[in-house]
Amino acid sequence: MQSEKQSNSLSRKILQAISDASLVPFLAILTAVVLGGIIIAFVGGNPFLAYRGLIEGSFGSTKALSETAVWATPYIFAGLAVALAFKGGLFNIGAEGQLAVGAVSSALIGYALPEWLGFSLPTIIHLPLAIIAGMLMGGIWAGIVGWLKAYTGGHEVINTIMMNYIALNTTSFLLNGVMKDRSPTNVIARTPLIDESARMPAIFEGLRVHWGFVLALFVAFFIWWLLNKTTLGFEIRTVGLNPDAAQYAGINVKRTIILTMVLSGMLAGLAGSIEVTGLNYRHELGFSIGYGFDAIAIALLGKSHPLGIVLSAFLFAAMRNGATRMQFLTQMPVDLISMIQALILLFVAADAIIRYIYRIKAKGERVVLTRGWGG
Amino acid sequence: MKKLYFVMALLIVASMILSACGASAPTAADCTKEEVFCVGLVTDVGKINDKSFNQSAWEGVQKSNADGVADVVQFIETADAKDYAKNIAQFGDAGYDVIVTVGFGLGEATDAAAATYPNVRFIGVDQFQAETVAGVSGLNFPEDNAGFLVGALAAMMSKSNKIGAVCGTDVVPPVWRFGEGYKAGAAYADGMNGTTTEVFVVYHSDVGFDKTFTDPEWGAQTAKSMMDQGADAIFGCGGLTGNGAITAAAQAGAYAIGVDTDQYLTLPEAAPRMLSSAMKLITPGVADLIKATKDGSIADGNVFGAAGYAPFHDLDGEVPAEVKATMEEIKAGLLDGSITTGVPPVKP
Repeated sequence: MQSEKQSNSLSRKILQAISDASLVPFLAILTAVVLGGIIIAFVGGNPFLAYRGLIEGSFGSTKALSETAVWATPYIFAGLAVALAFKGGLFNIGAEGQLAVGAVSSALIGYALPEWLGFSLPTIIHLPLAIIAGMLMGGIWAGIVGWLKAYTGGHEVINTIMMNYIALNTTSFLLNGVMKDRSPTNVIARTPLIDESARMPAIFEGLRVHWGFVLALFVAFFIWWLLNKTTLGFEIRTVGLNPDAAQYAGINVKRTIILTMVLSGMLAGLAGSIEVTGLNYRHELGFSIGYGFDAIAIALLGKSHPLGIVLSAFLFAAMRNGATRMQFLTQMPVDLISMIQALILLFVAADAIIRYIYRIKAKGERVVLTRGWGG
Repeated sequence: MKKLYFVMALLIVASMILSACGASAPTAADCTKEEVFCVGLVTDVGKINDKSFNQSAWEGVQKSNADGVADVVQFIETADAKDYAKNIAQFGDAGYDVIVTVGFGLGEATDAAAATYPNVRFIGVDQFQAETVAGVSGLNFPEDNAGFLVGALAAMMSKSNKIGAVCGTDVVPPVWRFGEGYKAGAAYADGMNGTTTEVFVVYHSDVGFDKTFTDPEWGAQTAKSMMDQGADAIFGCGGLTGNGAITAAAQAGAYAIGVDTDQYLTLPEAAPRMLSSAMKLITPGVADLIKATKDGSIADGNVFGAAGYAPFHDLDGEVPAEVKATMEEIKAGLLDGSITTGVPPVKP
């Protein structure tokens, strides 16, 4: 024990940190999988076959891997959005709404901008414009909540929830009204297809995984860098840990709160943008529903660390994606997957259960979620 | 030590259950073989046991299995719209012969898959084929006939000679056809019996489809205002909005009439006053098309299934024998074409 304490080797420290941070999530997943297996068996299914289907369907072929990456892409962006807010001591429940306004804005720029301008744009201009539009709109949407928090004390949890309603109902209004696809046989609330020039190219011919996935990984790295290597990141984390101390240290707390929400909203908006420009090529009512809420779970499971979020986004993506194959092999209802996910989250969120079962002592700093309802 | 016991116990229990089940792994039939006839079904975003659409279609697939037409039947529930293509591909790659896709939303994914899997027959339930796509048969239903049947029934059963219909938006052609068929049916019954029935048909005209089909309060209010004007039979057509009208009618003691499936079974709160439902016979429609695929007699493009009306259930005693007989005559007449509703496919 003592030699371990004395060891200062950096790699050892990093390994230790990773194993400390991932131990509880790992055990939570394991426990949930075993419990899930028992439940599958209880309702008359074959857990081996079910889990085989889940793994085959998510990692078993290049096509499956590609689909898992497709699922992971919005999860990474949205997970980062929630995690960034966590780091700043804010609970962004509004990723769902920010994602929706981002998707709608990107779709609008994607199909209507060349029409407005009267000439077509090259991809190198059109695609970034579409993505930036979505990011900006998401940022503004969340920024409003940040401003309310900073200057009126309005709690961000309530305000992001309210902004979700506004976003989703506005989206519904637009998709059924001015932005509706007017092709004669269409009865669905959706936008027209975006122009070819606003579409993100696929990485490989014949697979759906697109460059948005690479962008997601890059953005995850960027957020890690932002949080840990820049002054702004330091300010965000300090405000998150203790706003009074941050104020005393000369940090502009109000500005930091607004910036944190804007950045968080931009990430969530990006999730919507990428779904439109990289995958669906339009926005449709009912697409991308629930990603903003899954993102909260992903941020929690990933302990708000960008690497953790990429990994937990992959876990969620694999479960969602593998569910098809699992159903195909066992005819188990798809709800089972949601239930296993919920079990994982339950154990991660209430990590005292896992710590109790496996007798793990808590050590080090705890993840800071929010400073409570009093703000 | 306590922890160790717990973990060990957990693992032992788990492994026992796992091995017990592992022994009886089913031997999957090989659908790529010529002689094995396999049918897969992909639901719209919705459950296989939704007591509506998806369930009726799946029962049709199961029927083909029970009748010995299909050797293997499987379904996949779609959890997210972006999985449409992937879920269809699951069956396509496994060498299935028929893939049933349920709902208008899967239309584009179905057409795209038909190009990828030229040897598969696709049956698109409620997917109207504006253009014929090779390999795709769109199974549609004459909603106007179903509306016609319950319209005639309502007119014959009404004591006040005033009946109503509360529907989703008339922008969706099937909903409009239900409503117009209802009017036509009431007029037909009047013509037969020499009565004059006043028919109120109201469509929800709010902005969003999500709203027009999910507004039970509006449905209930509209039904109540119709009953205030003397209507004593209410037809609710259009998702939850219609359900609101049906429930309000039943609570007020009027006759309630459901839509799509036999809603006596799906709306227990309205069941005691449920007169009938305007039904699309999805189950036999799907089963027939699967059989036609095996026979080789199936064609691309639009195929029309049959419409019907649900049993009277609790109110069976209230329906006079002559009304029952007339309903059967009308149903037969609609089937053989001797009675037509005069309702065009889309709103002019």
